[in-house]
Amino acid sequence: MIKGKRVSKVFQYLNIRTSILMSFSILILITLLVISFIAIRYTENIVKNNSVDYTTKIIKQINNDIDSYIVSMDNISTLIAKDSEVQEYLFEDEGNKNYEYYKQRILRLFKTVRETREDIGNIAIIDSNNKYIINDGKDELSEYVSIEDTSWYKNAILKNGETFISSSHVQNVIKDNYKWVITLCRTLISPNTNEQEGVFFIDLNYNAISDLCEKNALGKKGYVFIIDENGNIIYHPKQQLIYSGLITENIEMIMNSEENYFATDLRGDSCVYTFSKSEKTGWTVVGVAYMDELIKNDNEMILVYGIVISVILGLAIIISMAISKEITKPLEILKNSMRDVEKGDFKTVNIDATGENEVVSLSNSFNIMISEIKKLMRQNVYEQKQKRKSEIRALQAQINPHFLYNTLDSIIWMSECNKTKEVVIMTSSLAKLLRESISNEEEFTTIKREVNYINSYLTIQKMRYKDKLEFKLEIEESIYSVKIIKLILQPIVENAIYHGIKYKEGKSLILIQGYDCGSEIEIIVKDTGVGMDKYQLEHIFDNCKKSEKSNGVGICNVQMRLNLTYGKEYGLIYESKKSEGTTVKIRIPKRGEIGYEE
Amino acid sequence: MRNKKNLLGRLMIIIIMLSIFIIIFSVKNVDKGKPLEMVYISKSVDEKNEFWMALISGAKMSAKEYNVNLTVVAPSYEADYEEQNKLIKEAIEKKPDAILLSPSSYTETTDMAEEIKRNEIKLVLIDSTINSNVADSIVSTGNYVAGEKMGNYMRTLINDDTKIVVVSHVKGSSTAIERETGLRNGLGKYEDKIIDVVFCESKYDKAYNLTKQLIEEHPDIDMIAALNEYSSVGSAKAVKELGLEKEVIIIGFDNSIEEVKLLEEGIINGIVIQKPFNMGYFGVEQAVKAVKGEKYVEFLDCGSELITKEFMYTDENQKMLFPFIGRQFREVIE
Repeated sequence: MIKGKRVSKVFQYLNIRTSILMSFSILILITLLVISFIAIRYTENIVKNNSVDYTTKIIKQINNDIDSYIVSMDNISTLIAKDSEVQEYLFEDEGNKNYEYYKQRILRLFKTVRETREDIGNIAIIDSNNKYIINDGKDELSEYVSIEDTSWYKNAILKNGETFISSSHVQNVIKDNYKWVITLCRTLISPNTNEQEGVFFIDLNYNAISDLCEKNALGKKGYVFIIDENGNIIYHPKQQLIYSGLITENIEMIMNSEENYFATDLRGDSCVYTFSKSEKTGWTVVGVAYMDELIKNDNEMILVYGIVISVILGLAIIISMAISKEITKPLEILKNSMRDVEKGDFKTVNIDATGENEVVSLSNSFNIMISEIKKLMRQNVYEQKQKRKSEIRALQAQINPHFLYNTLDSIIWMSECNKTKEVVIMTSSLAKLLRESISNEEEFTTIKREVNYINSYLTIQKMRYKDKLEFKLEIEESIYSVKIIKLILQPIVENAIYHGIKYKEGKSLILIQGYDCGSEIEIIVKDTGVGMDKYQLEHIFDNCKKSEKSNGVGICNVQMRLNLTYGKEYGLIYESKKSEGTTVKIRIPKRGEIGYEE
Repeated sequence: MRNKKNLLGRLMIIIIMLSIFIIIFSVKNVDKGKPLEMVYISKSVDEKNEFWMALISGAKMSAKEYNVNLTVVAPSYEADYEEQNKLIKEAIEKKPDAILLSPSSYTETTDMAEEIKRNEIKLVLIDSTINSNVADSIVSTGNYVAGEKMGNYMRTLINDDTKIVVVSHVKGSSTAIERETGLRNGLGKYEDKIIDVVFCESKYDKAYNLTKQLIEEHPDIDMIAALNEYSSVGSAKAVKELGLEKEVIIIGFDNSIEEVKLLEEGIINGIVIQKPFNMGYFGVEQAVKAVKGEKYVEFLDCGSELITKEFMYTDENQKMLFPFIGRQFREVIE
């Protein structure tokens, strides 16, 4: 459980692509290793079995060769034993005149045999009266050893004329001759008495046998040896080492084994003993093959497997890289899109995803979400706009009653004084003003109209504050056509009159200037009223919300609308000094309307 | 992002390369290495001397097994320590991995043996030792034990009137000293039956002459202990010639064909045989182990066996008495 958590934690910190890649690679690697492990084992097994089969065949072959070798020797022995001259020589009476003749014939026979077979150590016939011919006739029997005492002779007697093959032994019946040999012997039966009255033997040296055993090499280290039915060694390539007790063979295991092979450890190397028993001789031919030679291509095999694994792994990694990329691509796109959205860029966001999978449906959901958000935002903008419109209306509605009353009051008063000319001016100005404010619900107007509007307004106000107010309009004509939001100047001017000029003694001036400052338009409303102190100046926009009735609403509204329409960087800038007057700078972009306009 | 991808790709490539490298490296066969160079300075390379021939063949066979380049040299006769010292000097100049040495003298070879060690060459003494403990390993017959076996056997044949002479080989050689000591110990209380000890200097005729001389001087001698092959054959021949084989019991040492024949004839009653083949074999083996820094023994007793006529041809004894001259054996010797 804990481990699982840990693993999942690891994946939490890696990105999906790496996780996919890593899990793919690890899984593939494990699979490959397991498969190649099994494959190597399996191949090894097959190779081993094949090798054992092969070795068994070789051993059988060697066994056959040795059998036929022994048969050929046996044939020679038969040839000689049945030879009439041998028979005559041994079993005729001593006084036979042909005695020497037979002896010469036999010696010639021996000579022929010895010359053709260099694997024959000694060849001899001996009869029970110690009449004998050995090799070239010059060798003598040892005086100190009786032939009857030798075990091969005893065995030959038991065989009664059949061939007996001894184990390896030192031939000691011939004088001055102590060689290790294998003796093939048979008793000779006298035709006269039908008794075993002599013996014929051939001593085999190891030339032929070692040739046979070494002919088929079982690898560089492998070897072949022969044991007899009692487990004595007949031939071994390291016979002297064994006889000296320096090394031993696993003869016990061979004798006890039921199968015709077994595997074992031989001085640290693992070997396979394969053996085959000959019915003819009773000998067992044993082949010892070294495992590392049997599976001599083992390393090569592992190398090949290794390379194959690496290549497959490499390919798998490349493919899984591609696959993981393919899988995570929509996610990547989604992520990037989301990042754009985070930055506030909605316009470009639209993921092009087709298909059925989760990521695609996620992308689609994302698209839907984004379009929903866009819709909401549009709605929001629309609502804001509506709100502003109604605010303007409220503003218009707000200014009108007081002003209207005062103006009408002034008109009445002037009419009473018969100031017809003034009444006309004022009334027409008022009419212009009213027309302008109710004319339409458009948010924007041109600077020219705005200036006309303020002109009408100031005209009326000037008439009302005859002794106090003077105004001047200095607007460059080039900016007349520039669009501007409605009712910007009027609240500022109104503010200037009611808070600046009204309390000032003597005549004050309101100067409105308009410049083209390249990319933007600057309109300055300057008055020479009472001005403001620092505190007032700082808190001029503060009471926007609190007091509806106060004048603040007016300029707050203007400031807000300017900000909303043109952005934070545009708006009103107040500069003022106590008792010197106030200057308001209105900055708007020349391009007119921007911001949350569609 | 891009960097991360590159890193990942590189990591994968590195892993693949690494795995290929590891596989190739692990598969690569460990080299068998160059053969070791060794020199065996024997006491004799006389082809008629079956003891030394067997020892050399054992050493050569072992060299073949252990991948050793073995050079065999020896002075022209056994006791010539001066010539042997010269040979040692030459061997040192060749800077072999190890020198195997059968010192001609217990005392006179010592300096050169120490010289070998000073040149940081491994030294294995075979068959005989020196009066200094410098050798890395000594491979020999337990000569004391062999002498004791002889003494024990002789004791069974002794009666009150028995007079024993010891025909030893080289005076002052370690083998002679140890065998004699062992023999005396084996005889136990009959030690005083030894009336004389003579040295034949490993020469047949000297042994023969000395024996003849002794028998002439002491006609009642009825037991001869011969402490090496030369002593055994020489004194046996003398006894045979004098026709005293019935009267004089000879216990010999080592096994040559000559000696075996005399044993078969009944002139020699028993022989203590060493295992020279094994000595040579183990000598090289020990040297290899010493050079390779493997575990080896400081003193290796190759064993000895007392063989009498009636048990000459038992399966076990014939293996010890007669070397197996197979084809491989011949290849090694030649």
